[in-house]
Amino acid sequence: MRLHSAPAPFVRTETTAVSMSRAAAAALASLLVLPTARYGPRPLSMAGAAVLTCLLCEALVSLARGRRPVVSGFSSAAAGLASALLLPVNAPLWLPCAAGAFAVLAAQEPFGGPGRAPFQPAAAGAAFAALCWPALTFAYFDPSQPYALPALGACSFQAARSPAALLKDGLKPDLLPLDMLWGDFPGPTGGTAALVLGACALALFLCRAAKPETTVCFLLAAAAVAALFPRIACAPLTSVKYELLSGSLLFCAVFLVPGPAALPYTFAGRCLYGAFAGAAAMAFRRFGAFEQGAPFAVLLADAVSPMIDSALFRLRGWEARPYGTP
Amino acid sequence: MFAHGVRLEEDKRAALKNGIAVLPAPEDLPEPRSFRAPGGGAEPAAILAAARTAGIDDEFDGAPLAARLARLAEEQADLLAACCFDDDPFVCGAQAVLREDAAKVADGLLLAALACGAGETVVAAASRSELRALRGLPKGVAAAAAGNRYPARVLLMRRLCRGGKRGAWIGAQACAALSDAVRRGVRQAETVVTASGGGVLRPANFRVRFGTPVGAVLRAAGLREGVRAVAVGSSLTGRTVTDLSLPVTAATRCVLAFPRLPAARAFPCVRCGRCARACPQGILPWLVLRELESGAPEPLRLFHAESCVGCAACDAVCPSGIALVAAVRRAAALKEAGVPDETA
Repeated sequence: MRLHSAPAPFVRTETTAVSMSRAAAAALASLLVLPTARYGPRPLSMAGAAVLTCLLCEALVSLARGRRPVVSGFSSAAAGLASALLLPVNAPLWLPCAAGAFAVLAAQEPFGGPGRAPFQPAAAGAAFAALCWPALTFAYFDPSQPYALPALGACSFQAARSPAALLKDGLKPDLLPLDMLWGDFPGPTGGTAALVLGACALALFLCRAAKPETTVCFLLAAAAVAALFPRIACAPLTSVKYELLSGSLLFCAVFLVPGPAALPYTFAGRCLYGAFAGAAAMAFRRFGAFEQGAPFAVLLADAVSPMIDSALFRLRGWEARPYGTP
Repeated sequence: MFAHGVRLEEDKRAALKNGIAVLPAPEDLPEPRSFRAPGGGAEPAAILAAARTAGIDDEFDGAPLAARLARLAEEQADLLAACCFDDDPFVCGAQAVLREDAAKVADGLLLAALACGAGETVVAAASRSELRALRGLPKGVAAAAAGNRYPARVLLMRRLCRGGKRGAWIGAQACAALSDAVRRGVRQAETVVTASGGGVLRPANFRVRFGTPVGAVLRAAGLREGVRAVAVGSSLTGRTVTDLSLPVTAATRCVLAFPRLPAARAFPCVRCGRCARACPQGILPWLVLRELESGAPEPLRLFHAESCVGCAACDAVCPSGIALVAAVRRAAALKEAGVPDETA
């Protein structure tokens, strides 16, 4: 029997960084069930391609740094899945791969890998795709059309307008409440099924893989802006319903906003971060060029996060002012 | 929800089931010699002398009991509590000692209180059900339940010392040894050691003579194939041993065999704040770590680092596996001396 030396502690609580990212990846994977049942194997092939691209990029960066090509946990897989789920199911297969590659190569690895990135890699990937290929990113297939999407090849179909695009033009979407809950309308692959997203959020919060306060504040701020400044002529609650359930807002609230990479350290900071991101998402929707604003809002909130920390630290006396400043 | 400390999954039932087994002492160990007991009605000085002569060490820190009692007498301690529980998820020696002879533990506690002049005595057990099962506590000895959050020793002492009292712990085995020394003139020559962990077939508590090799305790409990690490002291703050011929001492408390090594890889901080909630001293380990990682740590921003008790609750709860205790110790050294202690 050969015994080894190791530092204490020899027991730990069950929640680890790996289990948290594994839970996030599993929750993201569960979002593929409904689209797969609805559209066939295409969502699976898109997600698989994005995940493989992300893992490959991470391994290549490890090789370039002269290290053994290892894949660190499930963070890259989660980034790939989120990148694919924020895109339309009819997007060409290379688009989620490009978004995933950007997420890993530009937003994750240059900063030291998963957990050290100052911006949410998946949000960066989605924003990259939206900025570079807006026509492909916001052209949605209508699930009511009798057309079977190919598993791998290009799709030829007539693009439908998503509820988010209609809201952008000041029009009220004509959707049944049940369709909105099950995600039976044009939109991002994983961003439409509100019920599944809610279940994912609950699972992540219960297994302590994510902090609820950021998500709650994000949704509250977005709902407040939607109620106070409706983009369509309707009752405030109707505006809240359409704004929250259309596009990628709910997806970002569950998967991108509570990501630990760039969150503030304190509870109050996380609440401020969530509220800021929610308000920014609605501002991007109203004033931005695209119908979706949540990934951009998350990136903006990530940039503001150190300032929130700094302000709160000073307020609590944890951080001294630099010498010479009043 | 807002309580300090951390709830750890306990694995004590099997070890507690069969009481305390006596492990035969190796033949080469000399028999302990007795001495003239001061007997009942002993004066504080005689009790201290008996504790010194008997060579009693507290099992929780290995410190000599006589010196501790003398210090507590100088500090005019108000409260002395017998620690009859182990907040470690594997260790249960103190609990087994209390179950075996609560009257002896209480007697030793009263003698220790007499020696240091503490007016209040408390027997602290692991839980309320443990307290209900207690019989034979003498009048004047209060009882308290520790609760299930680690580090219960620190958290319970804070509760007991509300109102500005000065309190201190004394181990259950040290209490029993003091009673034996004062009443019967017996030197402390044995200790109760818990053999447990995933690499042990039959977890149990053993009464072991000092000097017995650690390996003998493990063999008595049955060792599984493929054990990779053996730890003594505690599963949270103990140390690994690679030589199983090392002798058992008063502070050994447990011998734990693990089939797997703890994960050595640390991930970046996920900003969950669990370390701050776990810390019984109100330290913000994440803030200390952040300050140390800034490259130019400002000692004034290393809040409360000097009050760390080294319980490792922050280490146990950190999902990223960051060595936070080492960071807080480094910060405490920095505050103390103005330079980081790289050996901490």
